[in-house]
Amino acid sequence: MADQANFETDAMQYASQLYSAALRMTRNPADAEDVVQETYLKAFRAYGSFEEGTNLKAWLYRILTNTYINKYRKAQRRPQEVELGELQDLYLYKRLGEQSGASRSAEVEALDMFVDDDIVAAIESLPENFRLPVLYADVEGFSYKEIAEILDVPIGTVMSRLHRGRKALQRKLWSVAVDRGIVEPES
Amino acid sequence: MSACDRAIEYIYQYIDDELTVTRRTRIQWHLKRCSSCMDAFTFETQLKERIAIGGRTEPSEELFDTLRALIQQERKDTDPDC
Repeated sequence: MADQANFETDAMQYASQLYSAALRMTRNPADAEDVVQETYLKAFRAYGSFEEGTNLKAWLYRILTNTYINKYRKAQRRPQEVELGELQDLYLYKRLGEQSGASRSAEVEALDMFVDDDIVAAIESLPENFRLPVLYADVEGFSYKEIAEILDVPIGTVMSRLHRGRKALQRKLWSVAVDRGIVEPES
Repeated sequence: MSACDRAIEYIYQYIDDELTVTRRTRIQWHLKRCSSCMDAFTFETQLKERIAIGGRTEPSEELFDTLRALIQQERKDTDPDC
């Protein structure tokens, strides 16, 4: 069992990452700070029941996720499930490839044209049931098993949401690139 | 299903390092021989890295002070001798 006396030493190192994730969830700095504060308070109170040596980062993210869902999704017990429709594999890569013609590394170079705000806009555009898995895999680097534990869903659900969420993210990045004039719209 | 279709089917699990060694090796074998799949894998890997960097926003320094103060207060409230 973990000792509450060590809570700050153990847990404070994750505050930046938790804030960043909370900001992508709430899309609002004041709300993100509220969620993180509530998360740390709950985590501190429950720290005695945290089993030392197990995954503290995932445990904190689970509290963060539940705090966010309880606070902002009170009306529905589970986040609203949204479908995305049919999406092509390698969507962004193929679109960029059509642009660049023969040049082989042009798709990779095209990634440099995106600024951080484009990435944020694309992530935040995703419906919640796809946004959280994409956020946890791509930004936070969690494994499928960890994401399944954090979201309390089966691993197969994580994989399918992640797969579809990434496709939707790519479609959004493409439309952001078109809007900003980085690429030519499809003819 | 072609070898390329099979490789692309597992592209995310490969990038996320979620495959068994056998399947991973089989895909690496294919990538060595297929530059068009290799290009797609390189792109998806770099896109994931780009999202990891762009998707992160740092909090203000005050957040850390607020969190520490919050925990301190909670300690005092629950244990007056603290």
